[in-house]
Amino acid sequence: MITCHLMEGKFETRVCQGFDEISRSVDTCREALAAIPLDAIIKILDALGKRVLNNPDINTLPGVSYISLWLRRENLDRICRVNFSDKRYLDGFYQSETNVLMMAQPRGIVCHWIAANMPTLGFFSIVQAILSKNGSMVKMPGEYVPLILSILRELPEISVDHEGTTYSGKSLLDAIAIVTFEGRSTSVSEKFSLAADCRIIFGGSEAVRAISRLPCRDHCETIIFGPKYSFAVFDREYIESDGFKRSLDQLAKDVAVFNQMACSSPHVVFVEKSRYSVEVIASWLRDAFERLPGALRNQEISSGLSAKIINARARYLLSDGKNCVAPRDLGWTILIDQKICLEEPIQGKCIFTKEITSVDEVIPLVNHKIQAISIGILDPAKRDAFARQVTYRGADRIVIPGTIHDFTLPWDGIMTLNRLVRWVILRSN
Amino acid sequence: MPDADPIPSKGAWTRDTIVALPPYSQDDQHKNEFLLPIIKEQLEIARRNNRQIDNYFSKQGIEIDAIQRLEDVPYIPVQMFKVFDLRTRPEQEIVKILQSSGTTGGTPSRIPLDKATTLNQIKALKSILSDYLGERRKIFLVIDHEGINSPQMAFSARTAGVRGLSIYAKKIFYLLKEEDGRLSLNMPVIREIVENYSHEDVYAFGFTYIIWTIFYEQLKKEGMRFSFEDFTLFHGGGWKKMQELAVSKETFSDTIAEVFCTKRENILDFYGMAEQTGIIFVDCQHGNKHVPTFSQIIIRDPFSLEPCDIGKTGLIEVMSILADSYYDQAILTEDLGVLVGVDDCPCGHKGRYFQFVSRVEKAEPRGCGDTFRESGR
Repeated sequence: MITCHLMEGKFETRVCQGFDEISRSVDTCREALAAIPLDAIIKILDALGKRVLNNPDINTLPGVSYISLWLRRENLDRICRVNFSDKRYLDGFYQSETNVLMMAQPRGIVCHWIAANMPTLGFFSIVQAILSKNGSMVKMPGEYVPLILSILRELPEISVDHEGTTYSGKSLLDAIAIVTFEGRSTSVSEKFSLAADCRIIFGGSEAVRAISRLPCRDHCETIIFGPKYSFAVFDREYIESDGFKRSLDQLAKDVAVFNQMACSSPHVVFVEKSRYSVEVIASWLRDAFERLPGALRNQEISSGLSAKIINARARYLLSDGKNCVAPRDLGWTILIDQKICLEEPIQGKCIFTKEITSVDEVIPLVNHKIQAISIGILDPAKRDAFARQVTYRGADRIVIPGTIHDFTLPWDGIMTLNRLVRWVILRSN
Repeated sequence: MPDADPIPSKGAWTRDTIVALPPYSQDDQHKNEFLLPIIKEQLEIARRNNRQIDNYFSKQGIEIDAIQRLEDVPYIPVQMFKVFDLRTRPEQEIVKILQSSGTTGGTPSRIPLDKATTLNQIKALKSILSDYLGERRKIFLVIDHEGINSPQMAFSARTAGVRGLSIYAKKIFYLLKEEDGRLSLNMPVIREIVENYSHEDVYAFGFTYIIWTIFYEQLKKEGMRFSFEDFTLFHGGGWKKMQELAVSKETFSDTIAEVFCTKRENILDFYGMAEQTGIIFVDCQHGNKHVPTFSQIIIRDPFSLEPCDIGKTGLIEVMSILADSYYDQAILTEDLGVLVGVDDCPCGHKGRYFQFVSRVEKAEPRGCGDTFRESGR
């Protein structure tokens, strides 16, 4: 069964038998979107960010304040410049460095498969499709639909003036359809996949593999944001610097946001030997966890995850040469040992803490599953050398504590907006 | 319920006197008072004799002298029996190591037993069963195949049930047989029972899921029923599968009671585990599981880990004074339960009473966070 929650700008829930009607509507409406200059689209999205921040019904919901920051005009401008090199390519043929005129045309209909780890993920995916002037059909977890709809409801209320013309947010909204359906239903998933000119897939290993195998049209582009792993590294100079304790507050926040369910969530922190023992550093991290806002510290977890955390704590407490620092409740857990390796994620704010002799010991651990490494390395040359080596081995993002979840492009090594367009040429006479 | 024995004077509470008491005769507060000093003494010995347990206490800064309530006794998660040797007596005193595969297979738990612990477990189980079966030995029907009790079989919840409950058996009959790994009715034995033992006092044991999907289903096809003068069925385990079949505890009890021509009250679900052999928590006629004198249960909130109030679901922690040879003083299970009440069950049993809710669902990593291991290399 397919439930459509939004189509042609109408927030009506209805049951559909297939995607034909939905895709026809998105395909028709995306023409109006493509006709809007990119700067006007950015203005509308900037206005949307301000509106959601001022809407008391939604501005307290998790992730919404970040959305409004992310939608700021300067940020969207930067994203477009990084992806397209020049925004003008989106609005018409434009002289490139070669002899030809080039334009970035939208791919058409983007079908999004949204994962269940982050309530606002679907919104970021939609905005990227809008910035590349594509229509969207979005399959998202049912529990996140109300949040996304409440944000999108603001769009028709927005109009902006750009170079003497007024543009409405409704044109953006009309090109979006939100659907829910049982992902295990192969026949429905196949139909959804076949409606796509481009597929964006977010999810864990099993989901990504299953969706990738679905049939799609020959020209269809598939962009995969698959399962990834992240961690943190601090070198001696950084640990002994004044800013280190403040960085641990940032690290605790990075661990806590999304309760370690995101691909950008750190699971291990490596600390280079310094004048502070790993136990002392763990005690500072403990204080940092305790300083987290209540909503981040006390996130609900399943009883299965409780059992997993309880078992991990007990294993470390019973073992020789390991330790565990944790409160009485399951708010957070620091697991300390000396084995230089990455650890299977537990989630629920469980961070493995390991002392290393040199940050170089971490380099061989990096592979293509590593998304982000949050680093604290003071010396710029050492920092650069480390970053070159770990990115060569597969890591995608080398960031600083407190920014690990910042949704900047490229993400997972992908310039998403660039992949969402077709680069076409017009040879001049 | 047997009459309560005279209560020993304060200070005279030893483990032996407690195990000898009628199992549901003591109110909760009183029980906590006499269990705590015994457990604290056992913790001292456990800590002295096991480096891992000493690690566990010292890393958490736990001083045994400072423990004021049973709730503060450090619990060890049940899974740790699969990872660590939790023996608390010298190796030469261990006479047997129980290896329990549990219901889900995988790495077995290892439970080291010395003579005193084994003896305590037998006494305790006898005490519990006597409350439900009286003092006389009876015919014991095992709704399983004979191989389940063979020494070659890995110790499982099914084996534990058969061996534990057989202490009241005058004669044992296995109602199922196994051929090529498939269970089916052992018809010659069933006919013998129907013909020769219908007027005897009988009790039976089986794994809930097996009773329903094999015994009951096949018996229905054969059109057979039993008719005993006096009958009690103890059954446990497999509730997750039963939930998948949408068979409630009530439906199970009513249907199986009909098969044995008995009342629903005689179909008794129980909760227990190999890591705490000797103690089973059996349903009373009101569907509540009662905690015998020599043990205690605490339901802990899955996040705060603090004891839950009555009516709130949480993780079941089981406590006991029976074992000298391993850490069974406080074991945190991966089962969810709810404390129904204390000292006031209409059945008259004293102490805490609870209901089993479900096994904890295995937690798979959620979201796009994943293992660090690359696939395909």
